[in-house]
Amino acid sequence: MKRLWYFLREAYISLRTHRASTVIGIITTAFTLSSFGTFLLLYHNVHNLIGRVQTNIQIIVYPNDAIEPQQLQGLKNAIQTEPAIDSVQVISKHDALKDFKHQFPDEAHLLEGLGKNPFPASLILNLTETIPSTDMVSNLVNRLQQNPNIERVRYNRAWIERLSLVITYMEIGALIIGGVLALASITIIANTVQLAFYTRQEEIEILRLIGGTNLFISIPYLIEGGVIGGLGGGLALAFLRGGFEFFKHKTHTLSVIGGFSSIFEFFPFSLSLILICGGILLGCVGTLTSMYGWMRFRL
Amino acid sequence: MIQLFHVTKYYEGCLALSDISLRIEKGECVLLTGPSGAGKTSLLKLIFGSEHPDDGQILVQNRNIARLRRADVPYHRRTMGFVLQDFKLLPHRTVFENVALPLIIRGLSSFESRRKVIEALRAVGMEHKQPMLASVLSAGEQQRACIARAIVNSPIILLADEPTGNLDPQLTTEIAELFKAINARGTTVMMATHNRQVVEQLNGRVLRLDCGHLLSDQGAYT
Ligand SMILES: Nc1ncnc2c1ncn2[C@@H]1O[C@H](COP(=O)(O)OP(=O)(O)OP(=O)(O)O)[C@@H](O)[C@H]1O
Ligand SMILES: [Mg+2]
Repeated sequence: MKRLWYFLREAYISLRTHRASTVIGIITTAFTLSSFGTFLLLYHNVHNLIGRVQTNIQIIVYPNDAIEPQQLQGLKNAIQTEPAIDSVQVISKHDALKDFKHQFPDEAHLLEGLGKNPFPASLILNLTETIPSTDMVSNLVNRLQQNPNIERVRYNRAWIERLSLVITYMEIGALIIGGVLALASITIIANTVQLAFYTRQEEIEILRLIGGTNLFISIPYLIEGGVIGGLGGGLALAFLRGGFEFFKHKTHTLSVIGGFSSIFEFFPFSLSLILICGGILLGCVGTLTSMYGWMRFRL
Repeated sequence: MIQLFHVTKYYEGCLALSDISLRIEKGECVLLTGPSGAGKTSLLKLIFGSEHPDDGQILVQNRNIARLRRADVPYHRRTMGFVLQDFKLLPHRTVFENVALPLIIRGLSSFESRRKVIEALRAVGMEHKQPMLASVLSAGEQQRACIARAIVNSPIILLADEPTGNLDPQLTTEIAELFKAINARGTTVMMATHNRQVVEQLNGRVLRLDCGHLLSDQGAYT
């Protein structure tokens, strides 16, 4: 209990007496975390967007024109047993015609000359997964094409493939950028804490003189690093939020993108928490790296 | 209590202590004298575990200090007190906080440590100064606070390296008297000093060092 109080007090005193380097540490951490956060925000939203678009990706199956209505029903049931399929919607020739007339009432007269309904029946398949793998989709399409009752299967293969590629690239990018930025903030925090070490060498010497272990001596510095990292993370979050709202406001008034505000969203709470915890972790790792070198050569 | 067997210490190839063997019993008062550079500080540092001998063995309370693992050094130090010439107090802490520090390190309860701190401060005549900041104390008071901090853990051995080096003759007498009183209560005292007045006042066993050699060892075992 007494020790805990001592540790907190020491960390507080150190942060306060080295105000300038503390502020620099917080700001630089905030800066690196904001850059990472911007990327994360982008990634989060693209991922989200893809999720939405993906639900609109459908595989459309056109059965043979001569198919009987009960055969059509059988085909629907057969397709529905596929694990990758969430739901199947049947659009009969009659429905297709009605849809057309409903959507284009002005053009309806064009059809009047034709004796029979020119629209094919179709089955619209919705996938269970929002982001399906290309393999899965092409397997499914191959199997469907083998069915004698099916004349044609239509889906936008390139679109699906490109989407999964984009996601892979973004994930790799996130890893690289995240790694580089994490390294940068670790170095910055390590330097900040190292400064505190140098200015407090005398105090550390005294603690060693009276039998303080390395752990005892370093805990206040670990707290210090964690606080700098955590505050940096919090500040980064505030920056990001501010930037996000600003961007949202701008695009809203300019109405460049119609539904911007409905499409883009800020981090959910869990991701915000991760950003702050990440800051704290970076701070502690930074302290440890600076301490490790320092402690090793001291007795 | 403290035993050295053929201890040799070099600093970057330069001899600081050469083949020192000696035995110090519990409750002794040992004074290390000799000219500057004789190796007095080096000898104390070896016993304290802040330097390693290049040759020989050092036993302190039957523990081999020469083979002490680095992680065990702090625990070894907690059994001893060390008073230095330059006082080494935390300047922005009060006298009380400074003296309580070794107890915080050991994780003692507030109640127990409060009692011990007051006791140690009373032993050096500083109990009325406990709320003062260390930085505003006079030299004599700072050294008293350091001695209080060194004895607050009730160490078996008290090491001191020129504790009166920065003090005037009047204060020197007072501080020497404190060491004498601490020794009288059974604590083994080992002090390096140039000061003849202190040597006479403490009237203990005198070890004369010169250029790393133990020249003479005078004074009765008690
Ligand atoms: N850290 C060190 N690095 C190199 N040489 C050192 C170191 N410490 C001590 N020495 C050398 O070892 C020798 C003994 O030094 P030591 O400090 O033990 O002497 P001392 O008797 O305490 O002297 P003084 O009375 O001046 O304090 C000296 O020649 C000194 O230069
Ligand atoms: Mg010396």
